[in-house]
Amino acid sequence: MTDSNQKPKVIIVPCSGIGKTYGTVSREAAYNVTEDLRPEDTRLVALSKLVLGDEEARSVVAANPAITIDGCKLACATKMVQESGGRIAQDYAVLEVYRRYKQFKPQGIAELNTGGEQLAQALANEIAQVVDELTSGKGGKKNG
Amino acid sequence: MTDYLEFTIDKFTFRIASNRFYSDEGVWAMPENTKIRIGISDYLQQRSGDVAFAEVKSVGTLVAFGGEFAVIETIKVNISLPSPVAGRVIEVNPAMETAPEAINQDPYGAGWLAVIEVTGGETSLRHLLDPQAYFAKIKLEAEREVKKE
Repeated sequence: MTDSNQKPKVIIVPCSGIGKTYGTVSREAAYNVTEDLRPEDTRLVALSKLVLGDEEARSVVAANPAITIDGCKLACATKMVQESGGRIAQDYAVLEVYRRYKQFKPQGIAELNTGGEQLAQALANEIAQVVDELTSGKGGKKNG
Repeated sequence: MTDYLEFTIDKFTFRIASNRFYSDEGVWAMPENTKIRIGISDYLQQRSGDVAFAEVKSVGTLVAFGGEFAVIETIKVNISLPSPVAGRVIEVNPAMETAPEAINQDPYGAGWLAVIEVTGGETSLRHLLDPQAYFAKIKLEAEREVKKE
C-alpha cells in the first residue's frame, strides 16, 4: 500500500476498550469511516496488533498518517501509534467529541443506543473530513 | 497550602483535603467567612469517572439542605449532588461550562462547583463529617468493595 503506484492511506486506530461505551463509539466510528465513508482512502489498524508488536501493523503505521480515536484519558491508541513510530495527523477523544454533540448521549456496550450510534456517525463524519484534507495534501489538525 | 489524608487501595490513591468538611455523599464544604465553597471529593470523582458535563444551579437559586445543587454527567453515571448546606448560590465556577474536567484534575481546587451564602448566616458545618471521619468512612467502603471483587 505504500509503493509509489498507490495513493498513501490514512490509518485509523480506534480504542480497543471492550465493555466500555466510549470504546465502542470509537470503533463504530472507525468502521464507519473505513468501510462506508472513505474505504479507498483509509485503513483500519487494530490497536491490539500494535500492542503485540505486529510487524506489518507497525510498518503501515510508521509509513502513513494516522488518526487515533481514544475512548478514555489513558489514550492508548495515541500512545501506541507514537510508540510505533507513527505520525498522528489528528487525535480524537470520544469524551471531547461528546461535549460537542451533547444531544447524542452514548449508552450501551455491546450494542450502542441511538445516541451512541449518532455520536459515532458524527465522529465518523468529522474524521472523513480530516481524511479528505490529508489525502488532498492539506493536512490535519491535532486534538479533536 | 492544603494538607491531605491519603490512602491507596488496589491501584487507586484517594486524597482527602484536611481543611474542609464532607457530606456522606462526597460533597465537600469549606467555610469562607459567611460563605461556603462546595465541590466533590477526590474519592467521588475517581469513582464516578471522567466528567462530561456539570450543571450547577444558577446564581440566585435557593437550595435546601440535601436539595440538588448540581448534576454531573460522567462517562459512567449521572450524579445528582445534594447541597451540604441550605442557602443561596452566589457564585458558580465558570470553568464548569467550558472545562468540567477540572473536577477530575483538581477536585479540591480549580474543580470547585459553587459558593453558597448560608441562610441566616449560620455557617456551622457540625452536621457534616470532619476529614478524619470521612477518611475512615470511604476507606472502609473501598476496602469492602475490593473484597467483593
